Amino acid sequence: MFGKYKRLWKKSRLKSSYDAVIIGGGLHGISTAYFLAKNYGMTDVAILEKRYIGFGGAGRNTAIVRANQRTKENLRLYDEGLKLWPKLMQELDFNMLFFNCGNLNLAHSEAGMSALRLQVASAQFHGIQSELVNAKQCKELVPVLDISDRLAFPIFGGMYHPPGGTLRPESVLWGIAKGASQKGVQIHQETEVKSLEIKNNKVVSVKTGDGKKIHTPRVLNAAGGYSALIANMAGIRLPVDVLPIQAMVSQPLKPFLDHVVSSGVYHAYANQSLKGEVVTGSHMDPWPGYTTQVTARYIKHQAEALTELMPCLRGVKFMRTWGGLADMTPDMAPIIDGNHPIDGFYIDCGWGYFGFKSAPVTGKYMAKFMATGKCPEILKPFTMKRFAQHRLSGETASPVNYGPWN
Amino acid sequence: MNRLTHLPTLRIQPSKALSLTYNKKRLTGVEGDSVATALYANGIRIFSRSVKYHRPRGLYSLDGESSNCFMAVDGVPNTRTCTTLLKDGMTVNPQNVIGTPEHDWLFFLDYFGWAMPAGFYHRHFHRPYVLWPTFRKWIRKAAGFGNVSKNWEGGIYDELHLNTDVTVIGGGPAGMSAALAAANQGLRIVLIEGRPWLGGFFEYSPEPYTLDIPRYERARELAREIEKHPNIRWFCHTYLMGLYGNHQITAFQKGGEKDYFDERYIEVRSQSVVVATGCIERPLIFEHNERPGVMQVGCAHRLARTYGLLPGTKAVFSVGHDQGLEAALDLHQLGLKIPAVADIRFDGQNPDLVDRLNKSEIRYMRGWVAGKVYGHHQTSKITLRSTEGTREESYDCDVVVASAGHTPVSGPLIMAQAKLRFDLHTGFFLPHRLPGNVHPAGRLWGLTDPHAIECSGMMAGLKAAADCGAADDNRLKDLKEKLKELPGPERGTKLAISPGKPGKQFVCFDEDVTVKNIYQACDMGFDVPELNKRFTAAGTGPGQWGIPGHNLPLVISKYHADSTIPPMPTTIRPPMAPTLMATYAGKRHNIFKRTPAHEWQEKAHAIFRRVGVWKRARYFSKDYSCKTEIETVHQAVGIIDVSTLGKFRLFGPDALKALQRVYIGDMSTVKKGRVKYSAMCNDDGCLIDDGVVTLTAENDYYFTTSTGRAGTTVEWIRYHTRYDGWNFHLVNLTDAYGAINLAGPKARKVLSELTDDDLSNEAFPFTGYREMTLAGKIPARVMRLGFVGELSFEMHVSSSMTGYLWKCLMEAGKPFGIRPFGLEAQNVLRMQKGHVIIGQESEIRTTLHDLGMGGLWYKKPESKTVGAVALKQTKHQKDRLKLVGFKMVEPSDPKRAPKDGSIIVNDTIRGHVCTARYSFILNEAIGLALVEDKYAGIGTQLEIFEDGSDHQRLHAQVVKPPFYDIEGHRIRM
Repeated sequence: MFGKYKRLWKKSRLKSSYDAVIIGGGLHGISTAYFLAKNYGMTDVAILEKRYIGFGGAGRNTAIVRANQRTKENLRLYDEGLKLWPKLMQELDFNMLFFNCGNLNLAHSEAGMSALRLQVASAQFHGIQSELVNAKQCKELVPVLDISDRLAFPIFGGMYHPPGGTLRPESVLWGIAKGASQKGVQIHQETEVKSLEIKNNKVVSVKTGDGKKIHTPRVLNAAGGYSALIANMAGIRLPVDVLPIQAMVSQPLKPFLDHVVSSGVYHAYANQSLKGEVVTGSHMDPWPGYTTQVTARYIKHQAEALTELMPCLRGVKFMRTWGGLADMTPDMAPIIDGNHPIDGFYIDCGWGYFGFKSAPVTGKYMAKFMATGKCPEILKPFTMKRFAQHRLSGETASPVNYGPWN
Repeated sequence: MNRLTHLPTLRIQPSKALSLTYNKKRLTGVEGDSVATALYANGIRIFSRSVKYHRPRGLYSLDGESSNCFMAVDGVPNTRTCTTLLKDGMTVNPQNVIGTPEHDWLFFLDYFGWAMPAGFYHRHFHRPYVLWPTFRKWIRKAAGFGNVSKNWEGGIYDELHLNTDVTVIGGGPAGMSAALAAANQGLRIVLIEGRPWLGGFFEYSPEPYTLDIPRYERARELAREIEKHPNIRWFCHTYLMGLYGNHQITAFQKGGEKDYFDERYIEVRSQSVVVATGCIERPLIFEHNERPGVMQVGCAHRLARTYGLLPGTKAVFSVGHDQGLEAALDLHQLGLKIPAVADIRFDGQNPDLVDRLNKSEIRYMRGWVAGKVYGHHQTSKITLRSTEGTREESYDCDVVVASAGHTPVSGPLIMAQAKLRFDLHTGFFLPHRLPGNVHPAGRLWGLTDPHAIECSGMMAGLKAAADCGAADDNRLKDLKEKLKELPGPERGTKLAISPGKPGKQFVCFDEDVTVKNIYQACDMGFDVPELNKRFTAAGTGPGQWGIPGHNLPLVISKYHADSTIPPMPTTIRPPMAPTLMATYAGKRHNIFKRTPAHEWQEKAHAIFRRVGVWKRARYFSKDYSCKTEIETVHQAVGIIDVSTLGKFRLFGPDALKALQRVYIGDMSTVKKGRVKYSAMCNDDGCLIDDGVVTLTAENDYYFTTSTGRAGTTVEWIRYHTRYDGWNFHLVNLTDAYGAINLAGPKARKVLSELTDDDLSNEAFPFTGYREMTLAGKIPARVMRLGFVGELSFEMHVSSSMTGYLWKCLMEAGKPFGIRPFGLEAQNVLRMQKGHVIIGQESEIRTTLHDLGMGGLWYKKPESKTVGAVALKQTKHQKDRLKLVGFKMVEPSDPKRAPKDGSIIVNDTIRGHVCTARYSFILNEAIGLALVEDKYAGIGTQLEIFEDGSDHQRLHAQVVKPPFYDIEGHRIRM
């Protein structure tokens, strides 16, 4: 029905030069390419992806979006990002299954409520819908929650953020890829970048796995979990620890969970996708690594946590679990830089597990950065220089602990 | 329905009836039935409706490979009825239908398949956007299978954590042979099998194993050996969930009538793993290949042989392997009418079987295959087609037994990171590169000959034994020779799709994905299995890859007709079988630490909170302002349990060097009889820990850390001294010692009741450290500290004595009005003194300077103190958040403190309130806040924005902490 089945993104021959080369066929890379073509007319752009697009975090995340961050720097960015989804669906003529079901973040102590209050007050100050709710109101929002004191960490209350929600991660990727391709951007899958050529502190070309040299004055490192390896090719050591993170889904069920529920204390979150699966994730492995293998421990932990918070989930079955990589910076804020320390070399990475919700909006500003050479105001707080100056972002309240060095 | 009751292979007790309620009707099954077979015996043929098109679906397999048999059983949705043993009184209900599976009001959706091509939901519903929420609601309702039962109680979920030498996955002939071979080398074996009994594909087959023994008899013989072998622990009705690194497996066992548990989570660690999971059938793809009445060979055969049920009256077979022919012969013998058997293969059959088919007057058709099934709800007719699609023949029948061949269950190998390769001879994905200590056996190598399978199993068992250091090389060599002489893998059929229209040829039942959908997705660029499955959802349903697993790569390979690229298997992810969260959660241990004075606080009506790994007393009454607790400390004496503090001994010749490395103060000034307060920073100069250090003997230090750092301190110090080769030792004494702080102006009087030592301010001044015996027998380390701002003695005693000391202090303090106080009272008391709690007043971006604690930093470059570089660089840095004290001022109520976490604003956010309380002793609201340095000057007016306060602001003024007892007289009393 409704016409032929055309390729969502075109196949093309790899040329020997481009105006811009984007390393990484994930959401950040593809979004940047899309906005470069759309907003700045820069269509001579190649996306080089080692595997297939969405192999990394873009296809492995659980697609929760929200704009209730802790710091004002992030609030601005994510608020705009959240408002972008409906627009993108129209613009790209692609249904990304945006479900603004609202997020409920649980607190399990007095201190937890205070921490949420800071986020709620900050959001409200910026005109973003977010409110503190007590345990009873949590139960009204999510009737399957157990708010009794049987829990190891009884629920004190939570932060309810109505405009947040979920999407389907791959469809976002496909939709933007389609849009980028229509505007002339070339997507090259199974094309690995092996090295970067830098002359006089300026990017000149990249070399692919099969030995082809591609000349370009601009390179974006948007390789997600592998971005530290790409930066190494430019002689830049990124302060990034890569940690495996796991997620899982249950069998599909009829709707019973209307919001994204998350609990920092239980290291668990869950929401029900439009397909009916309970999508849940857990925290990262406690040690760095580049494996996407899953472990026995985490799915068990997740079941322990979820069945305590929502006892009816005891009768729900897990169907599948998978792992991905989170590129974590020392302050859980991204690293966005360009022309520093190398001209023409741009970096958009270190998103950890926030890469999905931030992708299109960051792509929009990253495109501006790459087209003009000047960092837009909204991205300035994420410069790598902040680490040298000991000015960490306050997005996470306490120091991180990826290993004994933190 | 009449059962066949004379068969030796039966697993049912036909005389023992069990009842069940299906869709509000009472039905009867027999002991040994699965829920599905009981329903089948009662004439139920339509088990469910498919998720997208609401097509009728029936019993297709007996090993849980598709959602066809899903029902809600005893409140659990999406239960695989074909693998669930019937228990008396079960309640079974169909799912995802409006009406009944036979009469589903949503049947019409099947006529709109053309409107739902691959990924259709990406192309529609979002324009105009205002309609999307309505469509979304509709999509949500349509999706999903069963309903969660909100009040489901479940049962007993047990856990078992085992350690063994060899784990064998699969209790068929290969697995049993492997287990026996390894066990006979003296090793301990754990064997798991999914079905409720051992035996695999031997178990129901009357074909000869040797001339005088049928295979089912051989299966029982092996099973008896397994069961009586002292080295083998075997678990039936136990499904593998995952095979992980280091040969760890997880599985779950379903409890039978005699078990005390409903399900049991099993985790096994072993040296070596044998994977003998055998084969499942590869579904044959033809038009309406999932119509009720169409079933797999194993399903039809086991219905009769295991459950005594003939699948129907008249069956047409369309198969691609000898086992299909064997089943046809056997079922024919048992009374099933079989007008025709179509065999995809032109040659390669066992001539003996063909001979027997001819003798039984079954029409045997080489090079033919099922083309299309007719029948509204159930199969009534089948059209067979020659494989090239040029000829057709039709037969009336009520059952179609269809299978394209086999496919090895190689999921466990894929999970173990083995690499598989498509084998042209068998048409299987066979092991190509294996990880260490993982040994496939039997049919995973494509073997079909019973003796070859056993031989391969024994070899795998011996290889696993060799991994455990119990090799028998000679025997292994003999077996290798023997295997060479036995028949190798059979040639498999390559046929993926029978000739016909692709629109109703189903590749994936769970997600209603047809061949046409797969091709559509390929057209759109999703032309490799990994991408295609994501776009079409084939294989992502609750059947977990069972139906489309092997076919999807073949269909895609067919799409690339000219391609030389071999089909690629896709990733299999745990759990292999759908597993209840209740089972994963198991016993749901609630693990936490109690301090040694826990019971005494419980008796004092403490209200506890979980703080990290601990349970700690936060309040001692329902008055959460803690007025009485606070006032007692100010006026009389209070007692608080601080046992959760980290407590460490660090000693050895280089102990001081280690301290200098991690503490920002000068630790060379630490001396006997005194404590020194100091702090640790990270490389950003951020405060991460504080505590006191004392010297107890030469090169022998005792120090405390905050509760949160108790677990990481040893690693922290070791990490930061790792290249120095220093000679020192670290002992974490946190759990060995309890700690009690006695605070208040009358603390000295109370303590002197327990000791004759001189406690006077002159003999034992502030920051003093003494070791003394309390209450005549408690050796104690006593220090005079001032965290809560009143005279206080912190006593560290062995954990076993802590409760007793608490009791002694309470008794001694009675005349002085002693009361226990909790964390909240302590929080207010210390805040009045401007003392910080790490994590409450400090953030990841807060340096020591930002907290106004820069004075603790002592430059000692030779020590390379952690954080010293950052402290130097940030000392005069501008635009940082600084910790300030504030009090509430007009026009706000000076007695009403803002809530913790409120933000400080003007045109933008400038900071936030860390802790703020009404101080009873000062009679005003005070607090600590982190604000931008521009707003940190004493006297600065702050505007505070509380959540939900609209545009109302609270007003405060920056003041210099401490708020209470500014000179610190009271701690030095």
